[in-house]
Formats: sequence, structure tokens, C-alpha cells
Amino acid sequence: MSGYETALCLGVALPLAMFGVLAFFGARIGKPAAGWCAVAAVVGSLLLSTYVTLGWLGMSAEQKSAATSGAHAWEWVALSVHGVDVPILFKVKLDALTVMMYFMVTLVSTCIFVFSVGYMSGHSDEVDGQSKYHRFFAYLCLFEFSMLGLVISSSLFFLFVFWELVGLCSYLLIGFYFDKKYASNAAMKAFITNRVGDFGFLAGLMLVMFFLHTFDLDQAAETFKFQAIGGTGIFAASVNIFGWQVSGMTLATLMGVGLFCGAMGKSAQFPLQVWLPDAMAGPTPVSALIHAATMVAAGVYLVARIFRLLTPDAQFFIAVIGLITLTITALIAIVQTDIKKVLAYSTLSQLGYMIFGLGVGAWIGALFHLITHAFFKAMLFLGSGQVIEGCHHEQDIRKMGGLSKKMPVTCWTFFIGVLAIAGFGIPLAHVGIGGYFSKDEILAVAYERTYNWEARGFGDQVGQPAGEHALPAHAGMLGATVRLASDNPTGAEERETAIARHVPVLPKFMFWIPIIIAYITPFYMMRCWWLTFMGKPRDHHVYDHAHESPLMYGPLVVLAIGTVVFSYVMFRDNIAGAGVAATDASLVVAIDGGKKTADNMLGITHHTGHGLVDPHAALAGIVGFAWLVGMGIAVLIYRNGLAIAERIRRIWPLSWIYVALEQKLFFDHIYDTVLVGGTKWVLAQLSRAFDTYIVDGVPNLLAKVTVGLANFSGRIVDAGGVDGLIDGFADTAQAAGAVVRQPQTGRIRNYILFGTAGASLVVIAIVLVTYAGAR
Amino acid sequence: MFDIGLTHYLVVATLLFVMGVFVMVTKRNAIGILIGVEMVLNGASLNLIAFNRYTTGGLPRVDGQVGSLFVIVLAAAEAALAVAICMNFYKNLNTVDVDRGDELAG
Repeated sequence: MSGYETALCLGVALPLAMFGVLAFFGARIGKPAAGWCAVAAVVGSLLLSTYVTLGWLGMSAEQKSAATSGAHAWEWVALSVHGVDVPILFKVKLDALTVMMYFMVTLVSTCIFVFSVGYMSGHSDEVDGQSKYHRFFAYLCLFEFSMLGLVISSSLFFLFVFWELVGLCSYLLIGFYFDKKYASNAAMKAFITNRVGDFGFLAGLMLVMFFLHTFDLDQAAETFKFQAIGGTGIFAASVNIFGWQVSGMTLATLMGVGLFCGAMGKSAQFPLQVWLPDAMAGPTPVSALIHAATMVAAGVYLVARIFRLLTPDAQFFIAVIGLITLTITALIAIVQTDIKKVLAYSTLSQLGYMIFGLGVGAWIGALFHLITHAFFKAMLFLGSGQVIEGCHHEQDIRKMGGLSKKMPVTCWTFFIGVLAIAGFGIPLAHVGIGGYFSKDEILAVAYERTYNWEARGFGDQVGQPAGEHALPAHAGMLGATVRLASDNPTGAEERETAIARHVPVLPKFMFWIPIIIAYITPFYMMRCWWLTFMGKPRDHHVYDHAHESPLMYGPLVVLAIGTVVFSYVMFRDNIAGAGVAATDASLVVAIDGGKKTADNMLGITHHTGHGLVDPHAALAGIVGFAWLVGMGIAVLIYRNGLAIAERIRRIWPLSWIYVALEQKLFFDHIYDTVLVGGTKWVLAQLSRAFDTYIVDGVPNLLAKVTVGLANFSGRIVDAGGVDGLIDGFADTAQAAGAVVRQPQTGRIRNYILFGTAGASLVVIAIVLVTYAGAR
Repeated sequence: MFDIGLTHYLVVATLLFVMGVFVMVTKRNAIGILIGVEMVLNGASLNLIAFNRYTTGGLPRVDGQVGSLFVIVLAAAEAALAVAICMNFYKNLNTVDVDRGDELAG
């Protein structure tokens, strides 16, 4: 095991060890000390990750690939599927993506941990007189451990294990105030919603196990490609649902969609987005941790990791889900009045962008957006935590206003966050922060797929026998892949280009809807910031109490600097470096950057040759100043408080839309009615049936049997047998008596007659016998 | 005339006996029945004496006579008892109609 792998493992183990310490001795360690212990652990991880990151940055390309391939494996268990050994190995996945994610998670977490110490000092942590302070930090440590473990796992199986641990920790932390009904409900909602997604993940995992015979990401990708070329294995399996043959869909697509379902749950994608806004019930640092560095990032990270296991159809499905999510959540964010809810919905929308980006092939752009988003969203959440803490737990932005004077550091770091999410930058000048670069890359790829794709000779060319790159049908695509592979075994580039030719042109709306939302994002973020910090104070009680503390705004400054600095250095280049290996040999398209290098997956360049428009230049014109427009409109509407907004929302069609959006487009209601209600109904019916037929039925049956037996015993045995026997005796005796009493007339004359008659008969008999004997 | 033999005695005794029985069966008067009993006893006594006279072959035996005497003594005792019963019968039922005394009827 190389030093870097050891360092990464150690960095994972540190928070786990601290979790153990805090879980067992936390109560004795005491209130501020326990928090600082947790901070110490995560700072240890940060130092280790800094060591790895710096080492990684200093390596040459050859050293990097050597470090990547020289992984040591620890075999946990050996399975056997269809006679093929499927060992479950724990290996450290050491590539640029892991290193970058690891560094981002530890850095952002450190800020959040430090902030937590300040935040919890002002918050109640007692339930029934018992302090839960140490427990909070123990959970945070466990969360940190789970997320880091997830990042370094090279096996899908261990990824799933840590994935579930992340889900558990989110449950524990969202429900930290479990004595509050809304918090425990929100925790359950998050957990159950994630279970729905994880069901798909698990199904996908089983398909991986049964068809690809490995859990290792690289090996699985190799096998997947091999099966795709040969049309064997999972590509030969047809989809058969309860006897209904699904045409035009392979099991391979279903596998990708299944694995993506896990990401749908964790990254809160439509239709499982409902848990995330409710997760605001947890303490604010937890919201920052969940929404920036860990939980939701896990979903996007997973999709990036399984990118090579996707088929073009699965990729398109992912893009559509991302599109729906980013659209509806951005619209809902406009009307939210809770500062944390606004941020929650903006998170959902940005996650939608990432998933959409991965769906259209912007692998690098999506992950870059994940990293920049982690920094500015952590900052925004911690800023909101500072505001909430300063304003005595007031979360309604309508009651705030003018806080910039009371908490200047929070105000301006928050403003940097708003600029970053809005995509502040000067088009074509390479000046900007955060989302300006990352979102631009995603949209550029979408533009490429929409407008330049056909002109480049890509797209679905079904039925067009056009030369060597002809790809008549889905199976034909694979055929062409085989031919290319056999003609030129090392022609991976050509092969991928051939595959990319099959990847369809995007419909126009899939480019334009994200553009429109890019205008809405700055609007709702500016609205939130302006209502909170600018204008006149609307509630003097809140305003008078407002204050900020260094322990809490310190991390904000660190994150703000991180947001600005990391928009330029380190992350973009290194993720691009990881992209080559992580998307190589995939059936789906990944187009980012320029040449077939670290920057360019397919040799597709964003230059303006062949009469094509450079997507970046096109985007500069379309959304270059979206941040200015969106923020400007927000300032215009909210410059004097809520009055204008109130008037606008009374205008007829908007009023209806307002209600719909305020009710979160009725998703909760629909789920509550259809799913919860439906489940309850089904359960009620089942319970009733069970009650009626089993619970009641058994006693009833027993009663009936008993009654039957009693009847038998009473009517037949008792009446017929026992009584009958005795009655029979009596009846016989009576009948006999009746016969016998007939001659008993009581008349002496009769007795004499009978006596003499009898005597005579005896005499006659004697005489007859005597005579007969004599004769 | 003709010789009087055993058969004639037996016929007379049988007539006496049968008439006694007939009286007993047909009479409703307790005294009448008593008379019938006396006739039956006398018929039997006659038989005993007749058989003693004709079946001993002239030997000086008095078995029949002794038996007859017993019957007469018994008849006297029986008559005393029977009359006492009749008296009691009358006391209880105010009549000597034996058909009324059917309390033992089953």
C-alpha cells in the first residue's frame, strides 16, 4: 500500500475513531471540549488529505497512473455467481476525482465543524435534562467517516455500504431534535425517501453482480464494454416484466437507471426531491454538511463513478430527470420565505444542473460544479446559520432586513455566495467566480449536443448507411463498435467517436430550459440576500438582537476565499485529468474541454471550425449577463421591502402560480394522498381482511367447530346415546309393564279364571306329553 | 241299574270342582265365591276318598280319608279366615262386590 493510500485510509479512520471516543466518553469530555475533539479529528483528516493532494499535484502523469493501478486489495468475502468467483474487495480508489473530492469534503467539513462549535454553544442541546452536545459531534464524525469512505471506495459494494451509512447519519442528524415532532418526521421522510432510491441502487447492484461478475468499478466497466461489443451478457438479456416483453430496451439500460435511482434518492432528484427541504429541521450546520459536502454530493459522485456503466438511453433518462428537478425546484425557490428553504431549493436546482450535466455528457463540468457548489453552498448555509443564530432563531426573511450593519462579515460572504451561484463573471474574459465557470461548461455541452451535434456528423443516424461510421440501429451501433475495435484494437478514440455518433441530438428544450432557469437562479438568490441584509429592518425586535461571532464567521471567510480561489485553480484541471480514465471505454458520450487529452474525451473541440458556433461564445451572448439581469430584477422588486412583490403576486394568473409554488407544486400533498394514503388504504384493507378472516376468523371457526362438536355431543351422543340408552331402558320397562299389567285387572274373578285356566293348560300339556311319550 | 264305579265318583267330583270354579269366576259376591271355594274343596275331598276306596285293592288304608279330613279342617280354617276378610272388605268398601275391590289393578 502506497503512502497515499495509507494516508487516505487513515484520514477515513480518524473520524471513526473520534466517533467511538465521543460515543463512549463524550458525556465526560464535556460541552465545548467534545466539539473541539471532533474538530481535531477532521483537521487531522484535512491535513492528511492536504498531504495527498499536494503529493498528487506534484506527480507526473506516469506516476499518477502507476499510483492508480498499484492498489492493494483486502478481500472481505468471496461470493460465487453462476460458478464465477465474485470477490468483494476493499480497495482504495486513488485517482484525481477521489483526491479532489476527498480534499473538498475535508476542507468544507472542517469549516462546518468549527462553525458547529460556535453554533451549538448558543443552541439548546438538552432533552429531558440530558445533554446531547457530544452526541451531535459524534454523529458529525460518523457522517464524515461515511462520506470519506464512500469517496475512497473502488468497489461498488463498499460504495453502497458507505452510502447507507451516509443515509443513516443524515437520519440521525436531521432528527437531532427528535423530541420535536417535525424533526423526527423530517428524519423519517429523508430516510424513507432514500430507501426508495436505494431499492433501485440495490437492484442495479444485483444486475452488476450477476452479469458483470465484479463489484470493482474499473473491472465492471471493462466487462460492460466487452459485453457491449460482443452483444453478450447483460446486452443479450431482454427485459421481461411479468411476461411483458419490453422492446427497444436492454437490461443494460435498466441497470444504469437502477444505479441512478440511488443517486435520485441521495441527490434528491425528481420525483424523490421532497425530503431535502424538510431536512432543514436539523441544526443548520447539518444542513450545510448535507447540502454541500456530503450527502447530496454522494449522488452526483455516484453517477460520475458509474458513468461507464450507462447506455445512451440511460444517460438520456438521467438528463431528463436532472432537467425536471432543476426546473421545478428553481421555480419553487422563488416563493419561499424561510431563509433555509430558499437555500434548500437552490441546492436542489443546482443538483439538477449537475445531474443534467452528467446526463448530457458534461462529466467534468458537472463535477466541477459539484465542487464549486460545495464551497459556496456550505458558505451560504453557514451564513444562514449565523443569521438564524444572531436573530434568535428567526428564519423568516420577511421579518429580517437591514442586517448588513449588524453582521457585515456574514452579509458580504453571503453576497459572494450569491454571486457564485448566480454565475457572476464577465463573459469571454475568463473572469468570474463559482458557477460562472462550472455552469457554463454544463450549458456549453448542452449547446454542443443541441446545435452542433448534427453538424459534426453525430447523432442518431438510424437507417443511413453512410460510410464506415454508419450506425444503423442500437444493435448496429454495437456491430460498428466491434468492427472498429477489430480493425484497430487500440483505436479507442475512433471507437468512442463511433459510439458518440449514435448518441442523439438533444431536443431544443433541453438546452433552453436550463438557460431560462439560469436567469431565475440569480433572481431568487438576490431576493433572499436583499430581504435579509438590505433595505430597512422590518422587525425591530429581530434587528436589535442581531449579532455575529468570530467562531462562526471565521469559517465563512475561509469558505468565501475557497469559493473564489478554487474557481480558478486545482479542481477544474484535476477533475479533467480524472475524466479520461473515468469516462474511457464508455458507451455514452462525455464531451468536455478541447483535444483528446485530459481536456477532451472525444477529440471534439469547442472551436469554431466547420462553420460551427463556439458554444462558449454563444452562451456568452445568451446567458452571459443572466446574473446581472436576475439580480437586477430582484433588486428592483424588493428595493423597498415586500410591497411591490405583494402587488405582483395579486395579479391574476400569477396568484394561482404563487399558490401552486408555495405549496411546492403539491408534491407533498400528492405523495401524502397517493403514496401514504394509498399505503394506509392498502394496509387498512389488508389489516381488515387479516382481522376479519384470520384474527376473527380463527376464533369464529373455533367457535363454529366447538358449537358443531357440542351439537354432535349433545344431540347425537347425549340425546341419542346416553339419554337414549336410559330412555330405552325406561321405555322398554314401561312397554313391558304395559303388556304385563293387562291381565292385572284387580278382579279376583279374573285371577281365579287365569289360575284355573293356567292349571288346566298345565294338566292338558302333561296329559298330551304323557300320551305322546307313551305312544 | 248299573254298578257304581270310580268313574262315577270322579265325574261327580269333577262336576263339583268345575261348578265351584265356575261359581268363583262368575260370582261377584264374596260370600258366593266362598261357597264356590267350598264346592271345589269338596270336589277334591271326594276324589281323595274315591281313589282311596278303589285303588288300594281292598287293603285297610286310610290315606284318602286322612287327606279328606285335612281338607275339611283346612276348609273350616279357611272359611273363618275368608269370612274375616269379607268382613274387612265390607268395612273398607261398604260392599261385598269383589269387582269393586280392584285397587291392586296395575
